[in-house]
Amino acid sequence: MKFVANVDFPGGQLRPLEKSDVDSIIKLYQKQTLAGQSEATSKEHAERMITLSVQMAATQRGLMWAIEAEHDGESKMLGMLSLYDWQPTSLKTLMRLDGMPDLSSEHQVNALRSAIDFLAAKYHLRNFSFQCLPQGDEAIIGVLEQSGFTLQAQLRDFRRISQTEFSDILVYNQILEVTTAGEAS
Amino acid sequence: MNWNLNTEQFYVRFAHEEDIPNIYALLSTKGVVKHVPKNPMVVEAQAMDEARRMVMQFEAKEAAFWLVEDRVSGKVVARLSLQKFNWINASAQLQIEIFSEHKTQAVLAELIYAVATLAFEDLSLHRLEWMLLDQDKRSIELAQAFGFHHDGQLMSYFEFEGEWVDYQVYSLLNTDSAWQQAIQSQGLAKS
Repeated sequence: MKFVANVDFPGGQLRPLEKSDVDSIIKLYQKQTLAGQSEATSKEHAERMITLSVQMAATQRGLMWAIEAEHDGESKMLGMLSLYDWQPTSLKTLMRLDGMPDLSSEHQVNALRSAIDFLAAKYHLRNFSFQCLPQGDEAIIGVLEQSGFTLQAQLRDFRRISQTEFSDILVYNQILEVTTAGEAS
Repeated sequence: MNWNLNTEQFYVRFAHEEDIPNIYALLSTKGVVKHVPKNPMVVEAQAMDEARRMVMQFEAKEAAFWLVEDRVSGKVVARLSLQKFNWINASAQLQIEIFSEHKTQAVLAELIYAVATLAFEDLSLHRLEWMLLDQDKRSIELAQAFGFHHDGQLMSYFEFEGEWVDYQVYSLLNTDSAWQQAIQSQGLAKS
């Protein structure tokens, strides 16, 4: 049974992770601009992530898509779009986008918008949030704003980054209206 | 470690078996629970269940709950809790359920100082969060008076009685000047 759907967006597609994505995932997680990324990312971690992506989707706890887009005339995996803390009852989820430098902002915006449209239509989700580190990849903030997210909170020292240091977390939200028929729009 | 937090006016203590009527009296009062928000209890069996959950969550290191007993009258006037312990990021959420006649700056200064001292000094937490509803003006005023910082809001956090609930997030860090000052003066501002 297929738990992760393919979703097209202008210039590319979101698709389930595949075993052949291991090398791309390792490259992505060695970028170290987002929480959880590190130099030590291994093949074993990447393989486990692919297995977990199916389990998460099957139990509606999360979802991971590979972002595939055109680059230098060929279609390549250039990033990942993931959902965590998916709460079907509260119609909400936390999103995360990891992109290689070759993944343009335009593709990131299109991927986010298409994912949200898909998730609202298929799972009736209406509350999408996105957390980022203020000192991380600043370009993502522009992508979020263009995708319809607004900054709602800066949680001070919310995340521990070493034994003695903490970092703020920026919380962006996008809340869709619920129509009388109960559908998000 | 001593989890009892006795203050000048109150015994701030864990619940015991005889506290079921006290828990019920507190949490069946609409004015106490409306700002959580949750529905008031309607039968005492709910208080028994709540007491069990308090113990289970403490044993799982997820939360700690205290009943606040007035030293003079012996009446339980509030329940304090630290919830959603995050031991990696060293944070927890503060929650206060209190009879409205006791919701004064002097009382809350005493209670929050006691629980924050335990959180920062004994549990080595770094951040306390207090999630408040917009309409809970009194708590918002008090959070500001105690030096909590408004971090922003978490929108449509959950649904309650057909309405989506937004929380205003207030935080106090152990490095905040407001807290450092409180340590020096051995208390939060009582007026």
